[in-house]
Amino acid sequence: MKTLTLKGRPIVSGHCKGTALVTKKPISFLGGVDPNTGTIIEKSHDLEGKQLKNYVLCFPHGHGSTVGSYVLYALAKKNLAPKAIVNQTADPVVAVGAIIAEIPMIDQIDINQISTGDKVEVNGEKGTITISETKPCT
Amino acid sequence: MHLTTKEEKMYDGEYGWAPQICMRILTRLGDMFDATKLIPIESAHLSGVSYKTIGDAPIEFLDELAKTGKAKVETTLNPSSLDPQMIRFSEKRHEKQQHIIDLYKKIGATLTLTCTPYYLKQPQQGSHLAWAESSAVIYTNSVLGAYTNREGSPSALAAAIIGKTPNYGIHKPENREPTVLVNVDAKLKDEAEFGALGIYLGKLLNDKIPFLGGLSKYTNDGFKQLGAAMATAGMTPIFKTRKPPKKTWQETMTVKRKEIESTMERLTTTAKQPDLIFLGCPHCSLEELKKVAIFLRGKKIRNNLRLWVCTSRWLKEGAKNYVNVIEEAGGHVVCDTCAIVTWLKDLGIDSIMTNSAKTAYYAPTMNKVGTLFAPLKECLKTACL
Repeated sequence: MKTLTLKGRPIVSGHCKGTALVTKKPISFLGGVDPNTGTIIEKSHDLEGKQLKNYVLCFPHGHGSTVGSYVLYALAKKNLAPKAIVNQTADPVVAVGAIIAEIPMIDQIDINQISTGDKVEVNGEKGTITISETKPCT
Repeated sequence: MHLTTKEEKMYDGEYGWAPQICMRILTRLGDMFDATKLIPIESAHLSGVSYKTIGDAPIEFLDELAKTGKAKVETTLNPSSLDPQMIRFSEKRHEKQQHIIDLYKKIGATLTLTCTPYYLKQPQQGSHLAWAESSAVIYTNSVLGAYTNREGSPSALAAAIIGKTPNYGIHKPENREPTVLVNVDAKLKDEAEFGALGIYLGKLLNDKIPFLGGLSKYTNDGFKQLGAAMATAGMTPIFKTRKPPKKTWQETMTVKRKEIESTMERLTTTAKQPDLIFLGCPHCSLEELKKVAIFLRGKKIRNNLRLWVCTSRWLKEGAKNYVNVIEEAGGHVVCDTCAIVTWLKDLGIDSIMTNSAKTAYYAPTMNKVGTLFAPLKECLKTACL
């Protein structure tokens, strides 16, 4: 089994295993994610309709209102938050959201190397993500 | 980042959950932006107040924070979604809005509900602040000479509770120097043209700091429009207009009249008659209230048209003479809110006329209304035709 470890920067500590959900598009948590269901609702986003719960969510960075941080907190309170967050470049909105929601988070990761469905392990202390089982090539 | 013994104790949770989570926010942001320590702030200004803009999302967090968190410094609040003395929506909306305000009150904020807190208490020149609300940030950095990064709602709140902010960005003198020389090769006639210049430059500069040369006639109200617009279309936290400190520039650009005019034209999106004339984005100064009152003395607002002059409740109460004149003419001096952060459509408003470039830029997407962009005098003439 092929494994790959990518080293980035730790943002929020914590350790977890899960399935990757990857998008190349930034996410706006205020307006772009339904705070009651944890579903992406931004029109024509490639994850539109997807629930974030329990995924290791990989996206380039956040955008939009800083109130978006509170959406991550509200999702975590309802057990609807992603298990971990992996960013290309962390921005204050998502970083603060992960801090207050206590979601493990790392950044400075080349998310092009991760595909939706990959089994991954995130280490928020070391700032690493290990891809242990990559999706078969199609 | 270096932390003092007391800061470390807060970080470790010895002072409760709220100071701990706030320290985590500040230190992680500090680490991300290479801060070396926390520095004391004179005041904090919080965004994230209007229920229309933020919805229910922050309520749970604020509720938890208010249990053990108290603001350590003067803390002011951005506008809410309504003026309870002027506008009625559903009971639910009023209750939700009041609940959010009550939570901020519990944390120790002063209920200013204005985007121009500097009219209530002007920050000391050279002082460090943690302000959200981009128009207030750029005004206080550029015109008043205090220093604040463009904080977001949670980081300003964390700074209010700790009384400190990480020393990165605009807090450092080397990051406040302009790098782009902008020659304004056009005589700007009024505040609307200053706003148009701001939109034009904001898009080009993004977060770069400009020195603006060639501005001949200007007022602080003109600079308020310029800054608000620049911070809306881009991320610039400060502009400079006095004494260029160096002779070499990373970039030089010239703005001509045709650029101002084409920007003005693009900020008008409808040919319809306006349902609302909206003045006071950012909230009116005393000088602006006076201008409106002088124009409206002895005149009447047209029947099928509403005039809103938005300002803080503090200024409204201190300017009774001007307020009386505006109200006698049939206008409304609206407080605690503005056209952008309230539910315009639910008030039967489909198109607005405004002298604010920031509002004209935002309203078509944030409020789904058409805009007519024009200087104050033209707005008032239309109101009284």
